[in-house]
Amino acid sequence: MRNIFKGAFVASVLTLSASLPAQTTFPVFNPPPCDFSDSFYTVNGFDVTNLDTSAAGRFGNFRLFGPPAFQSGQANWVTDGNCSANDPNRRNVRILATTGAYKDDDGAPTQFFSAIAFVLSQNFFLTGSNAKNARGFTLQSIIGNFEAYGAPTQMVNGVLAPAPCGSMGDGLTPCFPVTSVATPALRHDWRLSSNRNALDGSSNGPSTPFSYFGDDLTGSWIITYFWWTKYAVGGRADQPAPTSTCQTILAAAGRQNGISLDGTPILHTGDELHFIEGVPGTAPQFGFTQAQTNQLLQAEATAPCGAEGNEDVGGKDGGAVWLVCPTILDPRNGAIARDAFLDVVRRNGTPIDGRFQTNFGCLQSTGKFCNE
Amino acid sequence: MSEIEGRKRSRRDFIGLAAAAAASGPFFLFPGRALAQQKTLKIAKWAHVVPGFDRWFEDELAGEWGKRHDTQVVVDHIPVERISALAAAEVAAREGHDLFMFPWPPAEYQRHAIDHAEVYQAVTSRHGNVARLGHRSTFNPTSKKYFAFCDGWMPAPLHFFQDYWAEVDMPLGPVHYNSLRSGAQRLRAKLGIPCGLAIAPGLEGNVTLHTLLHGFNSMIRDANGNVVVNNARTVVALQYVKDLYRDAGTPEQLAWGPSGNVRAMLARKISATTHAITLIRTAEKQDPEVAKKILLQPLRGSGGVIAVPYVTSCSVVWNFARNQAGARQFLVNMIDHSQTIYEKSNGCNLPVYPKTVLDLNVRLSNDPQADPPWKYEALKDAPRWTVNLGHPGFADSATMEIYNSFVIPRMFLSVVKGERSPADAAKAAAAEVTKIVDDSKQALG
Repeated sequence: MRNIFKGAFVASVLTLSASLPAQTTFPVFNPPPCDFSDSFYTVNGFDVTNLDTSAAGRFGNFRLFGPPAFQSGQANWVTDGNCSANDPNRRNVRILATTGAYKDDDGAPTQFFSAIAFVLSQNFFLTGSNAKNARGFTLQSIIGNFEAYGAPTQMVNGVLAPAPCGSMGDGLTPCFPVTSVATPALRHDWRLSSNRNALDGSSNGPSTPFSYFGDDLTGSWIITYFWWTKYAVGGRADQPAPTSTCQTILAAAGRQNGISLDGTPILHTGDELHFIEGVPGTAPQFGFTQAQTNQLLQAEATAPCGAEGNEDVGGKDGGAVWLVCPTILDPRNGAIARDAFLDVVRRNGTPIDGRFQTNFGCLQSTGKFCNE
Repeated sequence: MSEIEGRKRSRRDFIGLAAAAAASGPFFLFPGRALAQQKTLKIAKWAHVVPGFDRWFEDELAGEWGKRHDTQVVVDHIPVERISALAAAEVAAREGHDLFMFPWPPAEYQRHAIDHAEVYQAVTSRHGNVARLGHRSTFNPTSKKYFAFCDGWMPAPLHFFQDYWAEVDMPLGPVHYNSLRSGAQRLRAKLGIPCGLAIAPGLEGNVTLHTLLHGFNSMIRDANGNVVVNNARTVVALQYVKDLYRDAGTPEQLAWGPSGNVRAMLARKISATTHAITLIRTAEKQDPEVAKKILLQPLRGSGGVIAVPYVTSCSVVWNFARNQAGARQFLVNMIDHSQTIYEKSNGCNLPVYPKTVLDLNVRLSNDPQADPPWKYEALKDAPRWTVNLGHPGFADSATMEIYNSFVIPRMFLSVVKGERSPADAAKAAAAEVTKIVDDSKQALG
């Protein structure tokens, strides 16, 4: 506790220095991200007592230092009286740790969110008549429409595990743990779904029941875990080595997108995941032609290279089922504060996808994306 | 029932089936004028499971319409399992009812149906556009004709016992397919109560497994009609159902006939199943304490939150009907009564013209029979997660032949029973679907 107070003091000082007007040379009208107030969580269906546990790790109560901060003494959040002044639904906890993510539609490294808390089971949701928001929808039903794709590292004791531990796995070993989605446990950066439900306030058509910024008011997501299967990495008695099909796909994906921390290729988009899962009708990816794609998808019919899943909502897997991680609506013009830092997957201290750092730097120093 | 099979039926078959249908309830409505001056409108309608709905339909909706239009209206209620046989017999004989109301898209009969565009136009001018589900269930994009008119539908969410699932820390339901399996496994181990998805060939098995296939991001045919069911996601879905059955199922599932899963739910012998809300409505009437414990939820999978409807009520005016004008007019006027249809069906029949039941969301939030009253709120966004049979394409004759011959439930059942591996089952289903598609193309010329 003492450590937290000490950290809060340090962080407050950082806030003051960060908010000096002379440090900005561009119009500032987008406030930086802050945690929500307890009452706002409650009216939207969260049981705050569960958010305020160390396992949930809510910013403002826990995780002042340590991951996702990656430098000694670096704070993940600061107290800031402007938060509630700018928005009465916020509490005075400003988030410094700014996580980068790909936009699922096109793989653009342009999304930034605040990983405020981990939601470990349905016990985090209010039940009965308190479960619904003012429009009559439960929190669970809303945030189940918005998927954040997490990629835990598959490297376990020096070998690639082909399946997750717990309910999503095949019950065999080796398996990779899914008990943490903090950045050090990830093999590459997040993807945020935008192809199924509009990430902005618009609609993607009649099959999209909710808009993220219009309906998902706490900015929460359900986590979809995805991984390379035994057909891609081997590791099982019945499949000790990758298939030739998956080797072909791995090589092409790696050439195009780069290699993650565990040696498997990075995936930027939903279509790329569909491709490695063998979803019928997926458009060509990784530079393959349509004819090659048809052959590869057919070859994957009995041996898909990728898979995905969601954790047990009763909490039996021990990790995050959902995340309170509001995405920044418009990261320009002040939303990326001078004292914020970029939370991305790093290799030897350097982001594995430098484009996040580039965009973050431009937004922080000029209030714009680099290409604007 | 295929169109080809239908043509093989003899006139004697037709007379026999018609007599059987009449035995199940011919309801002649005499509006009080001399019969010689009257027209007649003969309607074959799928028998509704909600008590009293069909009586209201005959006596009030059809009866009053008959009085206003100087028409003797005859309504025959056909049990769902006999719909296909009777329709095929009428087509073969080219006589029978004027209006035939199916609980699914009757695409295989489109050569024997009028173009219902005129009906759609007339209704649209009164009530706005038809919902996507209705359009894609009755429109042929090749011929540009509507082979039927969609007048309503029933969604098919997962029904689960809240108290059972709370025992495995899922008081708000399993949410997605992975938790359905992991939770149901723990639930059966702890309470001895199995999960009860319908997997036997039949209406419930069809709805459950077509939904599951889409939930796993698979499909039978793509948007262009190409057969793609033999794919990785189908194999994953097949393995999933095999595992679900092994870890959390019951042998009774394999032998359930019509409404077998409903009876098991009402007896609290299973923890969850997929069905129309007719299941809860039955429970509300028979045993309110049981109904109180059932909640609804659409399941999400890698394909998102998605389901096929339990019922897509589609009406056909045969092109050999004697009173085509009356049949068309009846359909137009029937939509004017969508609010009453919703009420009389106990909220089971949702409107395909959203503006016809103006207080739908309010009703779903505060249902007078439900306990808790907000139970049906899970259906508020059902129009968004429900797709037509044949998705991502339109419901066409091959789609309905695949549906009515239970290709998908048989594929799953063969894996669950250990008769085929998932890969072999997907391959066999693909061969069967391909033949149906080819035959359908030939039949349509």
